Amino acid sequence: MGAALELDRVSRSYGDDGSGMPVLIEASLRVDPGEFAAIVGPSGCGKSTLLNIAGGLDRRYSGTVRVDGTDLGAMDDRALSAFRGRTIGFVFQSFNLLPGFSALENVLLPGFFTGGQSNARARGLEALEHVGLGAKAHKKPGELSGGERQRVALARALCSRPPLLLADEPTGNLDQRTGEQIVQLLSDLNREHGMTLVVVTHEARVSRVAGRVLHLADGKIGPSGEAATGAPAEAVP
Amino acid sequence: MKARRAAVLALRNLKRDRRGSVLGALGVATGVGCLVFFTALGTGVARTVRTRVFPDDATRIEVVPPQVSLGALLGGGKLDEEQMGRLAALPGVEAVLPKMAIRVSGLAYYDGPFFGRPLRIGVEVMGVGVAPALMAQDAAPGHPFADPGPGKPLPVIVSSRLLELYNKSFAAQRGLPKLTRELLVGFRFPVQFGNSFVVNTGSHPEQQVIEVVGFSDHALLGGITVPLDVARRLHRTQGLDADTYSAAVLRARTPDAVPEIIAAVRRMGFELDDSERTLAEQIGWAIALVTGALGLLSILITALAAVNIAHAFYASVRERRREIGVLRAIGASADDVERVLLLEAAAVGLAGGAVGLLLGRAGAALADLAAARVLPDFPFKPGTFFAWPAPLLAAGLAVAVLAAIVGALPPAREAARNDPAASLSE
Repeated sequence: MGAALELDRVSRSYGDDGSGMPVLIEASLRVDPGEFAAIVGPSGCGKSTLLNIAGGLDRRYSGTVRVDGTDLGAMDDRALSAFRGRTIGFVFQSFNLLPGFSALENVLLPGFFTGGQSNARARGLEALEHVGLGAKAHKKPGELSGGERQRVALARALCSRPPLLLADEPTGNLDQRTGEQIVQLLSDLNREHGMTLVVVTHEARVSRVAGRVLHLADGKIGPSGEAATGAPAEAVP
Repeated sequence: MKARRAAVLALRNLKRDRRGSVLGALGVATGVGCLVFFTALGTGVARTVRTRVFPDDATRIEVVPPQVSLGALLGGGKLDEEQMGRLAALPGVEAVLPKMAIRVSGLAYYDGPFFGRPLRIGVEVMGVGVAPALMAQDAAPGHPFADPGPGKPLPVIVSSRLLELYNKSFAAQRGLPKLTRELLVGFRFPVQFGNSFVVNTGSHPEQQVIEVVGFSDHALLGGITVPLDVARRLHRTQGLDADTYSAAVLRARTPDAVPEIIAAVRRMGFELDDSERTLAEQIGWAIALVTGALGLLSILITALAAVNIAHAFYASVRERRREIGVLRAIGASADDVERVLLLEAAAVGLAGGAVGLLLGRAGAALADLAAARVLPDFPFKPGTFFAWPAPLLAAGLAVAVLAAIVGALPPAREAARNDPAASLSE
């Protein structure tokens, strides 16, 4: 079976020309389809950089990144953007919803660029229902609580049913109770829908539900040994 | 991304930043408003000059004998029937219509009622005889422009421009009634041919009555225009040459044929009476020059509006950097980002252009109103000083959209080039 996400000896240094301090040094990672992998590590160790590279948002790296078997480095911007829209869902710490758009419109937004399906609206509503916000589909982000905004962001990532979901500190801006709801939602997505999740976090409650916990330190990815459930995530030495 | 979806996104963004959008559009509106105002003014004034002051006919060529001539020895000189035949045979010539300046001096002395006012006036009368075909369409219905024969009133066509000058200048200064064409058609007054205030003609004066039968832009400006046969008859009566013409009007089949005909006429040793056309062209150039200068000023204002849009978009792009990063993360390509921003600019330009056109039209209406109330009723004063051809309106909108897009292009490019990962980390 092919990997959902594969990083092969990926290196990345800070600075536009890559001559700054190295943040990833020949880091390798393989995440299989249906796996829930949590990446933990100290602040500033490059977790978000790793996620951006995995999602094709950061292209200033050496090495190879494959998503669903497709080499992201071999695609031009247009092809990569279309691929990202179809294949990868993103959830950010600060929600990143567009303020002028309703919850439903935010959820439907990826379809603007990927050429959404004819039943996009129904799927958008379904995604909002799935995260428990069907009744607030027409509310603007400013009218929603932090937890609700993150659930809208999650619905946006789910609407196009991407095989891979990348989440960067998804509970970082939420209180304890709301954060747990989001973690539960992520766990459900993985268990019930078989979605591959890669979550960057520093919170134990996230890593507790992940199938595998990987540790990023000194530019390398290694197993932390704290994996509790789910299929194994493999850090390639 | 489909254009309709990009337009939806662009309009949503503009709606969010109403103040910036309105300010950008107003800048464009000011520039385009000035541009269409001055261009419409120049076009309108030029049209008045072309159609009323110096009416021009693109197929009409007026041939005159050379001012200095060695006569028939060198082939130039007199315009007689033989030369008329040669001119008619030139390629591209549809008709040759002779004109004969009346060389008999005439004196009009009038002492009587003049449309409700007493008038006592004596003037030297100049005249020209023309082929009736040249003026036939200008004669009023029921008033034929043809020699009626001896003992009957002589039909004359009067210059439309003379009537305009009389009404707006002469009559206004002397308290005389303003006249219309309808009032004047059929008006008769006596003229004594063979008499003069200023020269001793040495001939026997002959009393005639002339009757106004119509008005024409091509009639003699400071005199009367009669049928050619009347001029011949007057010349014969006074023992003068009645076979040599003073000019010939050539009608070309098409305007394209005119340059070739002119060249052939010059080769025959004749000259062209293009004094009015030259004057009209000179005035046209002067108007074009002033309009061009004001147009350049307007373009400058529009360019400043474009710079203003560039600044506004740079600020907007910086403010929306993270948002643009999000769009890239959910599938927008760099081209999509640029397209959405340029559509925003195009919408601002279109709105600014539409408002600019309205401002221009409103300014023109106010200017016309002020001109009607403040300026004296001078000759050829038009009802409106402005002309609004459809291409001007389309060009106004196009300039507005173009200026906005050009202004927004650098920030749009910058936004498209932004590193999405860096944008999201801000």
